[in-house]
This record gives sequence, structure tokens and C-alpha cells, in this order.
Amino acid sequence: MSLKLDPTLSIHRRLLILLLPPLTLLMVAGGFADYRASMVFMRTAYDQSLADAAFAQAGLIKVVDGKIDAPLPVQPSTRASREKFYYSVWGPDGALVSGNAQLAPPTGEGNPLYADAWLGEHRIRLVSYRMPTAAGVVTVNVAETTYRRDAARHFILTSTWLMDFILVDGTLLLVWIGVRYGLKPLWAVRDQIESRSPRELRPLDTAAVPAEVRPLVDALNGLFEVLREAARAQRQFVADAAHQLRTPIAGLVAHLELLTQDPAAARLGDRLASLRDGMSRVAHSANQLLALARAEPSANLADKFEITDLVPLVRRVIERHVDRSVKAQLDLGADLKAASVEGSAWLIEDLLGNLVDNALHYTPAGGHITVRCGADESAAYLEIEDDGPGIPEGERGRVRQRFYRLPGSQGHGCGLGLAIVEEISRLHRASVTIDSGAGGHGTKIRVQFPAVKTLFQGKTATAVTA
Amino acid sequence: MRILLVEDNDLVADAIARGLGLAGFAVDRAASAEHAASALAAEHFDLAVVDIGLPGEDGLTFVRRLRSQGETLPVLILTARETVALRVEALDLGADDFLMKPFEQSELAARCRALIRRANLHTNGQLNFGRVRIDVAGRQLHIDEKPVELTGREWLVLECLALSAGRVVSKERLQQTIARWDQAMTPNAVEVYVSRVRAKLADAALIRTVRGLGYRLDEPEA
Repeated sequence: MSLKLDPTLSIHRRLLILLLPPLTLLMVAGGFADYRASMVFMRTAYDQSLADAAFAQAGLIKVVDGKIDAPLPVQPSTRASREKFYYSVWGPDGALVSGNAQLAPPTGEGNPLYADAWLGEHRIRLVSYRMPTAAGVVTVNVAETTYRRDAARHFILTSTWLMDFILVDGTLLLVWIGVRYGLKPLWAVRDQIESRSPRELRPLDTAAVPAEVRPLVDALNGLFEVLREAARAQRQFVADAAHQLRTPIAGLVAHLELLTQDPAAARLGDRLASLRDGMSRVAHSANQLLALARAEPSANLADKFEITDLVPLVRRVIERHVDRSVKAQLDLGADLKAASVEGSAWLIEDLLGNLVDNALHYTPAGGHITVRCGADESAAYLEIEDDGPGIPEGERGRVRQRFYRLPGSQGHGCGLGLAIVEEISRLHRASVTIDSGAGGHGTKIRVQFPAVKTLFQGKTATAVTA
Repeated sequence: MRILLVEDNDLVADAIARGLGLAGFAVDRAASAEHAASALAAEHFDLAVVDIGLPGEDGLTFVRRLRSQGETLPVLILTARETVALRVEALDLGADDFLMKPFEQSELAARCRALIRRANLHTNGQLNFGRVRIDVAGRQLHIDEKPVELTGREWLVLECLALSAGRVVSKERLQQTIARWDQAMTPNAVEVYVSRVRAKLADAALIRTVRGLGYRLDEPEA
């Protein structure tokens, strides 16, 4: 027999499916066998006493001068309430000698011969005993109604079923409890994993892990170790790369800035300006690449996420960009309402910094940029709206991709800004939507964070979704 | 005003020294913490600009050592590595400001000016801001060295903005500052006082409104 179960079925269910139906069948079959055995014993006992009555009756028969004398016994039914006894004695010629004429001898083998029959409206059990006498074979029939037998059968049936019922239910309960408790260490491991933040790479506790699950947990811990090491290596690389890239870039940017102010370099004119422009593009790209490398999940797994108040964070980011907005003749403003998220303040600053940077870059002079934050229930959002040229609907998916730039777009962008936003949002389980601004003009980008409490009470959250 | 620049990368140090020189500072260079320490011991500086990634003793350790020796000189930290932890650590152990490479020369000069301004305020109660001199101790505003009269509330607004010059001060904070003086102060009233102070400063200094965030006292645009 091959039993195919869905391999994704829980072990708990699998054990119950494999154990409960066969156990139930087994116990029902056992109950049925008990019942049958009891019935056989009961019938044999009753039949025996019926046969004894027939033998006693036969003992009373005398043959006097070839004439058969068969006196009828006294009805013993005075004590049994409903039970009735019937007698009949038949001669060798098949004629009734005495007793009830309706009680005819049954056909069949055996002596005594037992049979079930009907007498009028009564069901009866009949025993027929053929006794040889001097006058030939005399047949003695004794029968009784089956009330006692029926009552006994009912009793046996009821008690067997009751026992069976208790046994089956008890077994089911024991199996269920046993499976449940037997799998408890497995649930403990599951809880240990579930209650962790997805960024946490600390090894799992193996102290209370059953032998079967131990290799699995060990393998997981090995994997965590590899990830930890990879994350550490990536962070180290990003930090080293940052230093190696930024220091010379800083020197070059600073020197070029000085050169453009130097009257002696005035004759270089446009060439110096484009050199400075190119250098600032290199600086920007290096910053963006480093930001993206930092934001990648592999680099940030060990980063601690904390409850972060968005209002001061947004203030900091806007303050940093005020000078640029003044230079670009843009009105950069804010509409801030209390909101907090669980996350890395630094990464969210990167995220918003990129959004503000984009808005400042693409909104023409005289435009308005508004950064908003707030919370619906406990789910915080960040929003930035500008009245610039906007992003065509068909491009809103693609602008999130790395290095993608809108066709015909100008300036220093390297196409990583929104990719960084996307990456950091993903780390924070936030969703990014790109829309048109008020009145269908400009761009409105909204970063919707999950409610803070679902991140915190990991167990509750999974209980709800499970 | 004299600045000690502690930076080992010649390319960067040279550019910074020239840039700050153009901005009107006298700059001395040191390529390591050891050199910086001996320069500080020998002469007076108004500010130290310290790179974190120095050979030998790193910038943070150097600043920590300075502070533990009771040195109150304002310190601006420069770094090419950015981590939140680093920024927090730098400010915690006594650095006054933190700037990421690469930066604009004008940004560095503005930060240096702000730090020196704040240090001066501590030592002599004066805040110099271009053509504006605010005598915090004597509660007196001077423009081009001529005294300008302010009412009590106007003075509180100016003082609050001046103490955070170059940074955005929220309307709520201004409101609270004035409310201590006058309980019935509405956000609209703050705007009224700001515009009065703005009028009195005329073109000597600029109170910039950052929509939804607050006000910022700036030197007038060139």
C-alpha cells in the first residue's frame, strides 16, 4: 500500500492522519469481534438450557402398548414476565401426539436440531430432539420466545459500543495529546526562529533541540555564520572603498572649486567648468554606489533597527538641503506630523536624502517641494511632492531600477537614487508608490512603512497571519 | 582667526588650506596627531579641523585625548567613512561638528565660522555675524557698530535665532521662548515678531523662512 501525502503537510497533521483512521478502524473491528464472540457464547448458553428442557420433556415420554404417552409440563412462564414456552410431541408417523400443533418439527440435520422460527406474531427459538422409542422415533419440540435473548443481545451490543466509543475517543485524545507534546521541541525551535528579526544572524540556541532537528538547526547556524561573515566583509569593503574613493575625490573637488575662483584660471573658462561638473558627477556617483552597497540587505543584516522618530530625521535632511534649494530658487518646505518607524535612522536619512536630492535636481527654478511625514494608525509614511515635470506613468516602474534614467534627462544623476530608495524601503518592509502631485502635475513619492507594533510583536503578528 | 588643520592626505590638506585661506582664515597644517598636539601646545588656535583617518593615532582618539586634557578648542571632524556610530561617537566624545568628504569649500568655511562664532559667544558673550554684532550679555544689537533698539520680545526672538545661527529654529521653539515672557503667545504672533526683527536687521542679516520647519538666521546673500 502506498500512501501519498502532500509533502508540505505539517508533521502534526501527518501523524494524526497516519495514526487516527487506522486506530479507529482497528478499534471498531475489535469491538465488532467482541460483540460477535459474546453473541456466540450467549446463544450457546440459552440453546443449551432449551435443549435441557427438550431432554427433560423426552424423559417423560412413555410407550404403553405401542401407544405414546407424552404429558405436557407445567408452564414455567409464571416467573418470566413475557417469555412463553411452547411444546409439541410428534409421533413416528408425523402426527401430533400432544402440545401445540403449530410447532412443527423443522427440517434439517442434527440431533438436537436448533432453528429460528415464527409462531404467530412471536419470534421463537426452537429445539427439536428426535428420540428413538419402542414405537419408533418420537420428535420432541421445545420453543421459547426470544425476549430474553433480545434483551441480552441489546445489552451486549450497547455495552460493546459504549466501551468502543470510550476507547476510540480516549485513544484519539491520547494520540492527539501525545503528538502535540511530542512535537513541542519542534515548535520551540520554530518560535525561536520566528521571534527573530529577519536581520538577526545570532546562532540559534541548540540546548533544547531534539536529536532529529539538531542537524537542521546546526545547518541553519552554519548558514547564519556564513552570512554574518559575508555581511561583515561587505561592510568592511564598503568602509574601505568609501575611504579610498572619497579622500582623493574630496581633494579633487576642493581643488577644482578653488581653481574656478582663481582669476588666473579664467581663460580656461568652460573647460574648467565642465571638469568641475564631471568631478561633482564622479563624487555623486561614488556616494550613490556606496549608499547602495550599504543599503543592500547583505551588508545590513547585523544593523540594529531601533524605534526612530521621523520628525527630527526629516528636519535634519531638509536642513541639509536648504542651501541648495536657495541656490536653485526652489521653495523647499515641510509638513510634519508625529510618526515613528522601526528602522535605521541613518538608512532612512539616506532614503529621504535621495528623494529630496532628486526633487531638487529635477524641479525647475520657482518650483515647490514639500516633504511630509505622519502616521495613519501606527503605520508611518514619508512623502515628497514637487511640481516639476513629473515621471510619465509608463516609466514609474523602470525608474526604480539601478542605473535607469529617464530618456532625455539632464545633469549629474547616475540613476541610482530611486534604486537606493527602493532597497532601503525593502529593508524596512516599506512600500514605495510613485504618483502625480496635486492636480496631476509634478511627482509625489510616498514611502509607506508597516505599523510599528507588528514589527515588534513578532509572535502576535505571525499568530494573526497563520 | 587661526585654524589647525590635521589631515594626512596632501591633496585634501592643500585644497582645504587654500580654501580656508581664501575665506579669511589663517591655516596651519599638521599631518599627524603627534604634530597637532605639539602645535596646540605651542600656539593658540581658534579651531581644529581633524580628519579621522590619520596615520598613527586616529582623529577620534586624538579628540578624546584633547578633551580629557581639558582642551575646550572647538573641533570639526572630517571623515570619508560614514557610519551613524562614528558620527554619534565623534559628537559624544567632544567634537563640535562632523563633515563628510567630499564637501564644498563654502560649506566647510561656513561651519568653521559658525563654530568659532559659538566659541566666542562662550568666552566674551558676543556673537559676530557679518555686519551684525549681537551682545548677548549686554542684550544689545549692533549693526555696523551702531546700536539698534529692540523691544523685549524682539530681542528674545533675535537671541534665539542668533544662538543657533545658520541652523533652522522651529516656530514652536520660538513660541516657547517668548511664551516664558508672555503667556498668551500664538504662532501668528511669532510671525509678527519675526517680521519686526527682520525689518530692523534690514539688509545686514537675513531671517530665512523654511516652510513648515521654522526660521534660519543667515548672513545676507552676496
